[in-house]
Amino acid sequence: MNRWFEAFIYGLSSSGILFMVSLALSIGYGLMRVVNMEAMLYYSFGAYITYTVVSLTGNFFLGALAATLTGALLGLLVETQLLRRIYHRAMMFTMVVTYGVFLIGVGIIQFIWGLNPKPVQAPIDGMLNFLGVSIPIYRVIIIFIAFAAFIVIQLLINKTIIGKALRAGIENKDNVVALGINIKKIFTITFVVASAFAGLGGALNAPIIMVGPYMGFDMLLLSFITVILGGLGSIKGTAVSALILGQVISIGGMIWSPLATVAPFGVMIIVILIKPTGLFGVKGKAFGFDD
Amino acid sequence: MDSSTDKGSGTPKPSRSLDLGFLGPLAVAGGLIALRFIFPDKLSFFTEVCIYTLYVMGNNVLMGYLGYASFGQPFYLSAGAYSAAFFFSYIGSNPLLAILMSLLVGLVLSGIFGPIFMRLKGNYFTLVNAALCAIGIFTVEKLLIGITNGNDGLWFRAKIAKLPILDIRLTQNLFLFVVILLTIVLFLYRWMDKSALGAVFRATKINSRKMRFLGFNPYGIRIIGFTIATTLSTLAGSLYAINFGFVNPNLGENSRAVEVLIATLLGGVGTVYGPLFGAFGFLGIKDIVSRFMSRWEFVVGIITILVLFFFSKGIWGFFNLSGTNVKNRIKSLFKAQSTGKEN
Repeated sequence: MNRWFEAFIYGLSSSGILFMVSLALSIGYGLMRVVNMEAMLYYSFGAYITYTVVSLTGNFFLGALAATLTGALLGLLVETQLLRRIYHRAMMFTMVVTYGVFLIGVGIIQFIWGLNPKPVQAPIDGMLNFLGVSIPIYRVIIIFIAFAAFIVIQLLINKTIIGKALRAGIENKDNVVALGINIKKIFTITFVVASAFAGLGGALNAPIIMVGPYMGFDMLLLSFITVILGGLGSIKGTAVSALILGQVISIGGMIWSPLATVAPFGVMIIVILIKPTGLFGVKGKAFGFDD
Repeated sequence: MDSSTDKGSGTPKPSRSLDLGFLGPLAVAGGLIALRFIFPDKLSFFTEVCIYTLYVMGNNVLMGYLGYASFGQPFYLSAGAYSAAFFFSYIGSNPLLAILMSLLVGLVLSGIFGPIFMRLKGNYFTLVNAALCAIGIFTVEKLLIGITNGNDGLWFRAKIAKLPILDIRLTQNLFLFVVILLTIVLFLYRWMDKSALGAVFRATKINSRKMRFLGFNPYGIRIIGFTIATTLSTLAGSLYAINFGFVNPNLGENSRAVEVLIATLLGGVGTVYGPLFGAFGFLGIKDIVSRFMSRWEFVVGIITILVLFFFSKGIWGFFNLSGTNVKNRIKSLFKAQSTGKEN
């Protein structure tokens, strides 16, 4: 019983990371209808910046802050320089272009930091005793940060004028522009916030995994699964599916260890084939099946 | 279709300008064999180019004719390679039968996945293939480790038997064999491009709703295209296996999925001879770059961006365009002369 509870908590922390990393993809793919495969760069760069800052100063929180800023900066750069040029292009085109950018980023990482995986020291080593199970405090902190990220992004999209303009702009761009709202700027702001969270996700995941140049590849499909399972265009859906997938990875891995790597892909195929709208996707808006 | 021809207002369609008719595939074969004698130490490179061309041609059916990008083509490639490897390791030794078996596997795979996947729209098709590729890697690496040897791979070079006429265990004969196969496939491919099937593919890509209105079944057409693509990929896979004499899960790696897409784009999407140039260009660049660095994602990424934004017609399209331009210029020159005489 204790083992299962431990796996549950570990799964929750994976869900937290998964949610933060998937946000950029969820907003790009689900809301702006552009498949931004390069979103995983914010995650990998975040992790590497954390590694550099931690090894220079020894302060993890400074590292996480730097990673968040790096993610935001990269997001700003990519959105203004690349995505604006390809919003109107065909889905296939944007997928291949952004994947190319992703590969360039991976190459840059290899040039700067080399091929060998780097370890990052966790900032807090303590264990928390809870119901007879000892859990690393660090994992609990991740869960809380991810929850806070969810609240922030939900407030941003549902409660602020930015979010309202964003949702209106997705429905009908021209009308929003006619109202005197700079929709480009709003897209950029939303995107930068999401990329900042991806950078933070990379920073938080750095002590858990080894930071390697190919960490983005591993995360790319996982976050796609998260977004599709949750339903395109729904932040709440992304959060719920991150919760589900975290448990699939953690508890599935406990039942039979290879399941941790392959079960998410099984989930993805089943979801795409049976319910391509995902859990919270809007049916009319979903673009899974051919008409 | 009409709009694309109207745009040029009078210029002939590019795809027809440099087409040599039935001599085209023979010219390709002749050119490859000539290259092999001009650069004798590059023999294995040319063999790989031929095999890769088949693989790119498969992807070109999906990408150029049907308008689908798949991030899971390595799955079909490695399925072909592994079926040939299983044949050599556990069943027999005749390479032709191994190739036949991989073609059968290709047909079975497309029979299973075609009807399911071709209902999906482009971006979901891409992702579901990527997921399939990940599952395929897992299957050969972990699940079937008893018969695939996992990451160590299967070695069977010694088990390949001699063919009655051509001993394809020798590299120069294998090259010849692959060139012959490629020529046959090119003949068929050219026929597909010119026949009603090719026209139907392109029309479905542009407007599937109108095709349905005309009484065609776009879903069935796509399944046919998917089947062609998959069997070409498995064929290429089996030739890969025979060429290297071993297979390992590396061949089907997810991160390599984009290579074939880029080779297709580089050569020219939706053309008959584009894949050949794409394979040549891509493997050539890879050959040069890999002398300077071991992992070359950076270069692949740069090529992708450059090709997509500035070179979207690809190498073959570029040749065609300049070919038509030269032709037109000569024609207009003659016209000007003749009109001049009349005046």
